[in-house]
Amino acid sequence: MKKININGKILLSGILFSVIILTGCKKDFLEKPPTDSIVDANFYQSDEQVLAATSLLYSRVWFDYNDKASFNLGDFRSGTAFSAYNDRGNVLFNTTDINGENGAAWRSFFIVVGQSNLTMFNINKFAGPAVSPGVKKTAIAEARFMRALAYRYLTMNWGDVPIIENNIELLDDTTINKNTSKSVWRFITREMRAVAADLPETPLATGRISKWSAEGMLARFYLTRAGVEATGGVRNQVFLDSAKYYAQRVITNSGRALLDNYANLFKFPYDNGAESLFELQWVALSGGPGYGVGNSTPSYLNYSPDISVEGWGGDKGATWWMLSQYDGMESFGDTMIKGRTLDQRLKASYMLPGASYPEITQKLNGVNQKLVFPYITGDVNFASVKKYVIGKSEDLGFNVEPQRYPNNTYMLRLAEMYLIYAEATLGNNTSTSDATAVAYFNKVHTRSGLPAFSITDPITGLPNPLTLDAIFRERFIEFAMEGMGWYDLVSLHYYNPQKAYSILNSQDRGLYNIAPDAFPNPTSWTIKKTRWATNDRKINASLGNFLLPIPAQEKSQAPNLSKPAVDYP
Amino acid sequence: MKKMKVTINSKTLFLWTIFSCLLAWNGVYAQTDGRKITGKVSSSGKPLAAASVINKRTNIGASADNEGNFSIQAKTGDILVISDVGYIKKEIKVGTADFIDISLTQEQAKLDDVVVIGYGKARKVNLTSAQTSVTAKDMEKTVNTTIEQAFQGRAAGVYVTQNSGQPGGGISVAIRGISSINGNTEPLYVIDGVQVQGGGTTNSSNPLAGLNPADIEDIQVLQGPSATAIYGSRATNGVLMITTKRGKAGETKFNYGYQYNIQTPPKKLQVMDLPQYAQMVKEFHAIAGGVTPIEFLDPSLLGKGTDWQGELFNNAAMQKHQLSLSGGSNTTTYYMSGEYLKQEGVAIGSGFDRYGFRINLDNKPKDWITIGANLSFNQTNEQLTTSSEGVITNALELTPQVPVKNLNGSWGGSNDINGATQYAPVNPIAIASVRTNTNRRRQFLGGLNVGITLAKGLTLRTSFNTDINYSNSLYFNPTFDWGSNARNVNATLSNNIRMNTYWNWNQLLEYNKQFKKHNVSVMVSHESQESKWQNISAGRSGYLTNNVLDLQAGAALGAINGGGSGPWAMESYLGRLNYNFDNRYIVTGTIRKDGSSNFGPENRWGTFPSVSAAWRISQENFFKDVSFISDLKLRFETGLTGNQGNGGIFSPLNSNPSDLGTGFLPGRYGNPALQWEETNTNNIGLNIGFLKNRITIEGDYYVKNSNNLIMDNPLPWYMGTSGIGAVGNPAVNIGTLQTKGWGITINTTNIINQSFKWESNLNISSFETNIKKFYSDAAFVERTSWWLDNWTQRSSVGQAPWLFRGYVEEGLFQSVEEINKSAVRVDNNGNRLPTNEATGVWIGDVRYRDISGPNGVPDGIINFYDETNIGNPWPKLFGGFTNSFSYKGFDLSILITGTFGNDIYNHIAKVNNKTNTIYTSRNLLVTAMDYAKLGLDKNGMPAIMNPGTNVPRLTGSQIANDNNYGTTSSRWVEDGSFLRLKNVSLSYNLPASIMSRQKLVRGIRATIGAQNAATITGYSGFDPEVGSYVGGNASLTNQAIGLDNGRYPLTPIYTFSLNVNF
Repeated sequence: MKKININGKILLSGILFSVIILTGCKKDFLEKPPTDSIVDANFYQSDEQVLAATSLLYSRVWFDYNDKASFNLGDFRSGTAFSAYNDRGNVLFNTTDINGENGAAWRSFFIVVGQSNLTMFNINKFAGPAVSPGVKKTAIAEARFMRALAYRYLTMNWGDVPIIENNIELLDDTTINKNTSKSVWRFITREMRAVAADLPETPLATGRISKWSAEGMLARFYLTRAGVEATGGVRNQVFLDSAKYYAQRVITNSGRALLDNYANLFKFPYDNGAESLFELQWVALSGGPGYGVGNSTPSYLNYSPDISVEGWGGDKGATWWMLSQYDGMESFGDTMIKGRTLDQRLKASYMLPGASYPEITQKLNGVNQKLVFPYITGDVNFASVKKYVIGKSEDLGFNVEPQRYPNNTYMLRLAEMYLIYAEATLGNNTSTSDATAVAYFNKVHTRSGLPAFSITDPITGLPNPLTLDAIFRERFIEFAMEGMGWYDLVSLHYYNPQKAYSILNSQDRGLYNIAPDAFPNPTSWTIKKTRWATNDRKINASLGNFLLPIPAQEKSQAPNLSKPAVDYP
Repeated sequence: MKKMKVTINSKTLFLWTIFSCLLAWNGVYAQTDGRKITGKVSSSGKPLAAASVINKRTNIGASADNEGNFSIQAKTGDILVISDVGYIKKEIKVGTADFIDISLTQEQAKLDDVVVIGYGKARKVNLTSAQTSVTAKDMEKTVNTTIEQAFQGRAAGVYVTQNSGQPGGGISVAIRGISSINGNTEPLYVIDGVQVQGGGTTNSSNPLAGLNPADIEDIQVLQGPSATAIYGSRATNGVLMITTKRGKAGETKFNYGYQYNIQTPPKKLQVMDLPQYAQMVKEFHAIAGGVTPIEFLDPSLLGKGTDWQGELFNNAAMQKHQLSLSGGSNTTTYYMSGEYLKQEGVAIGSGFDRYGFRINLDNKPKDWITIGANLSFNQTNEQLTTSSEGVITNALELTPQVPVKNLNGSWGGSNDINGATQYAPVNPIAIASVRTNTNRRRQFLGGLNVGITLAKGLTLRTSFNTDINYSNSLYFNPTFDWGSNARNVNATLSNNIRMNTYWNWNQLLEYNKQFKKHNVSVMVSHESQESKWQNISAGRSGYLTNNVLDLQAGAALGAINGGGSGPWAMESYLGRLNYNFDNRYIVTGTIRKDGSSNFGPENRWGTFPSVSAAWRISQENFFKDVSFISDLKLRFETGLTGNQGNGGIFSPLNSNPSDLGTGFLPGRYGNPALQWEETNTNNIGLNIGFLKNRITIEGDYYVKNSNNLIMDNPLPWYMGTSGIGAVGNPAVNIGTLQTKGWGITINTTNIINQSFKWESNLNISSFETNIKKFYSDAAFVERTSWWLDNWTQRSSVGQAPWLFRGYVEEGLFQSVEEINKSAVRVDNNGNRLPTNEATGVWIGDVRYRDISGPNGVPDGIINFYDETNIGNPWPKLFGGFTNSFSYKGFDLSILITGTFGNDIYNHIAKVNNKTNTIYTSRNLLVTAMDYAKLGLDKNGMPAIMNPGTNVPRLTGSQIANDNNYGTTSSRWVEDGSFLRLKNVSLSYNLPASIMSRQKLVRGIRATIGAQNAATITGYSGFDPEVGSYVGGNASLTNQAIGLDNGRYPLTPIYTFSLNVNF
């Protein structure tokens, strides 16, 4: 018995020990890469994967900017639109360092920078031999394009900002300096020129950028940089010429063309149309992909849930000043605007009571019908936002989820090239009668249904050259609600700050009431300032509050940003 | 051969004990040779009923009766062995006397206990490390729905706060302070060898809620580095070793327990009733303009209105049935139990039930082999609606004007036509009643183990344990329409399923050797463990009915789904050497090497050694004369434990759809160089016993230094680390934390005599954690609750973790002069706000302290530079005090717990004192009615007519209201200290004289008790015990601590329970 016991013991122990040794030797037991996502080292192995690595640089990384900051900074601050009860800091030109959109925009642009840098870093590090050189070059150029554009926004909003070209290298660096705005401009034009050289003339896929997107950006950059490098208020002529050069190249060579009807630019589906040079590519699928890849802006602009799944834009709309800019909307004293306009851009940008929008379904008293923008009597109503408002599931043909709209956001379209050409040609003169400049201006101007602008006054026969003011007004109207107005003012501010302040400080941003002469299908409107709303109609822009302050939390977690800015080589 | 004999003897003895018990039970006395000897067994004058007396020669025994009397046949010269559980066995030689009076000495049970330690057992007196314990006996005295409740207040060094009073609600356990900033701070639970990492929880449910507290025999809290280091990388937050009950050889024992509890509502917060509310509305309109509804013009005509707290909170029952069965033979023992618990919540929309089953088996087929199995299965169902919907907050905020139900039976809500209640928050009773939020969990926890005695003193053990979890949560938001603020037109259902599997296989070799006065034991072991989790989630909308809660019933169009999974593995080698000389000098050394899949190949393995030593001074010869000190032990230990974080060596790519095809972006910066976080702890301890251990004191002082803290590097935003599409902060090793603390436990037997016994246990602990180093001196880590006015907690260098951020309030402005010379806020253009009632700062507005400015000095402007740390959620002192009294069959136990010196941010008070929200149909605390009433003083100057008040003026001015309520301020930070009568229970054991009249039932014990019976606190909210924030929007890495936002309060529970042994 005893003997058997001992044998049994030895046998059992032997088995146990051998198993211990076996389990102890399995080397890959502790190799546990994530099972629910790909890791960087295993990606970037084919053309398809490399392109998949840049596709979200067209949407998700810009999300927090596009969300509310796009119109808060781009439109509210510039005075083209306002919100009566919300976002007052931006409406009243008081964007503090704890303002939500200030923080969101700052973070988002640096997300664009960080993700673009990381994408380049990873492609360079991990891309395998199966990736074709052309695709690799294009993908890297795409990332550089996004980074340069983000820096354009950064420096225009905050002035001096730190340039980061390699996040991995600087990850532990707590001493990074800001770089001067001037050197940021130098950096991004240099970058954009390299990008233009690397990108193909025809995009690799619809919606992706091409050489013409980059050259279009160069036109925009040079026009502004002419102001950045101005001396004594005189813009740099070389850069003006460059802006004109690139604008002309894009107009001639890109194959892009203006749409005949301005309103169609924003009638869904309009994505990646003939006029488009770069758009944020938002997607919405039935079944609702994750938050952050669809366009959320319409949620805040929709004037009511009656026209979509949600609508928080009931108190948003054109400012009094903006409405006064349209041809035919005549001012009577300081308290009334009255009239009608042939400019189709008004209806396509803002909704006035009685205007019909058959492309949008409105739920009225529980019944769906084609939208006729309601007339709310009383002291206050709004010229609600139309641009980027595309309706509800019934209009789009699939189930729209809150904050997930499919329509793209224009970041650069051909119309701007014509106006850049005109402005660059005008340059440091007070006006221009250059035939091409005027013709290009008219391309944009007449498309809206307005008669052509003539350098000879049709009534008096006197010379009536094209002025900077006219081009500015054209831009405000053409790009209303596209987050542009503010950056036009920043461009102006670089070489003529007083003019920028005087535009801003002249604007009326207060409450009003619009009355149509008939409902529906009015032929004219009467707009009156709300009598009792006397506060907060005007703002006071000055050097002290013109640029955005760096967000407070960022300043406190990165004290290095308080150091003086240095030039970026 | 000698060993064999011992076995037989003890076996015989054992059988005899059982046999004698049976004899005693049956009242039959065996008669054998010799004469009849009678006697009485007692201890300290108290008769010992059921003591066993055995004649060593004949192996025949007898049992004492209730008065301790026995009779047995014996000859002169025979040896009688007298024993009783808990007393030292005595042998008496039969002399000539026929009557023998025997007095047994009580065992120094608490000192001679063998306790469970990591990977083994040890004599408690010879422990070299700080370790406290809670036994089944202690736990039985409180009403414990889940096990963590059982050790609250019972062990020094263990800071337990209940996150939610919701049935089945989660708990935060911090052993010896906190040792991580981003990582988990919960301890490791080892349940019969199964290692379960305690995790935080973002909902109100509790990961250990499935265990039945009645199955637990003993909980050991390993605190010292020497005790915990054997668990190496998982032990930094302490280890709780839970041992479940096992069978004992002998007759089968049935135990049935029934418990009925009534839980009562919390004490109501004083909110305004309808007349008060109407009065306030009227006053608001008088000051701020607007029209007062006609029905409010004369508040005295109104009834009380709806008492929302009264409607929400009700008495709730909790019942528990528990049946266990244990017993076995010499070779096989078993313990089986089954449980059903059902707890209703005192608030509508909450509830918990649990079904549990356990079987513990031990088998010894040969004398050199043992086989054991622990198998348990449980299922819990939780109803989480109350917490997830913020029902309690709503009940405090909703106007008494809205009825619970309208006359037509529909739910009350805002009235869109009559503007008075247009902006009213949602009806809490309605929302709690119609929304479904349930979580069903099933858990299998168990293992098998085999032990082999290879040679004398040498054993090999191997065990395989597993923990398999499955949970299914369901959230259904039905359609409803109770006014414009409470309308849902599209019913949605989301359904999440989570599966976890974990296994652990351990092989262990242990050798014990004793030669002369030297005792040596060596243990070496190898262990591998692995776990996997997987999530599947799905959701649909477009339900045509609110009754079918299944995905299938929703619209396929628009259906969403998601997944997720992750693996983890660890391999370890560990060993322990214990040397003990004459029970005087004891040295223990342990070492553990852990390899974790959370690290890259270069840094994968971490080594965690420890050394501890104890000197039992009382065992020294020179100490023999010190009679009043019965035990004295000095301990010192030092050791290293680790933390492996949650991964971060990889840079995973997150995929998202885009118009250009599915795209991939890096989700976080990977850090392949990530290393182990290490905590070095030095601990000195003292155990001292006086007067034959009637008084024992155990004290420890420790310093813990955590280096290489694994945390997400709080990089500036310019690194692209914050927002949608951001690259997540990399996990790095960059910080240092230090915790210093002490704990003391005093056990006393105050009175002990024949019929009365009074024992006390007092434990008090304290810790202070300080952050020594971060990425930069300016770096800080914040947890911001954006859904609660951006309420923020900050961890920064030189401070304790997670201090509340905000402004320091310095009362209300009393005069124009005071305003003009004080710092105030600024307008749009950075200019000081005017001193003006309508457009600026005015008397009765809050004055804040000007602490700093852009240049680091006060600048006369109140803005974010003036934010500072305004509260500390950690207590300075906490503890528990237990007193147990027993008199004849009665046992009385009283447990008092308390904390001292922690702060609570009372967000409820902030929101419900915001006077101007009255116009949005929000109710307020009665205190808000004492807002600063403005008038003119005797000099005709504007002044506050009720100058003592701290409630700002009532005004419609947005600027003033932003100033007064738009910030987080010190005004809402309250002292969270409390002293709570946690438990009182009185039990009665039916005396043996009654029990012996029948044969079926062995014993009956009846208990009445009260839990949370009374609380002394200065805190003005429902309940000062505020743990981590659970509920909507909370995430594990962003969980507020010490924030009260309508937390589900702990309320009194009155208990009746009955325990019957068969």
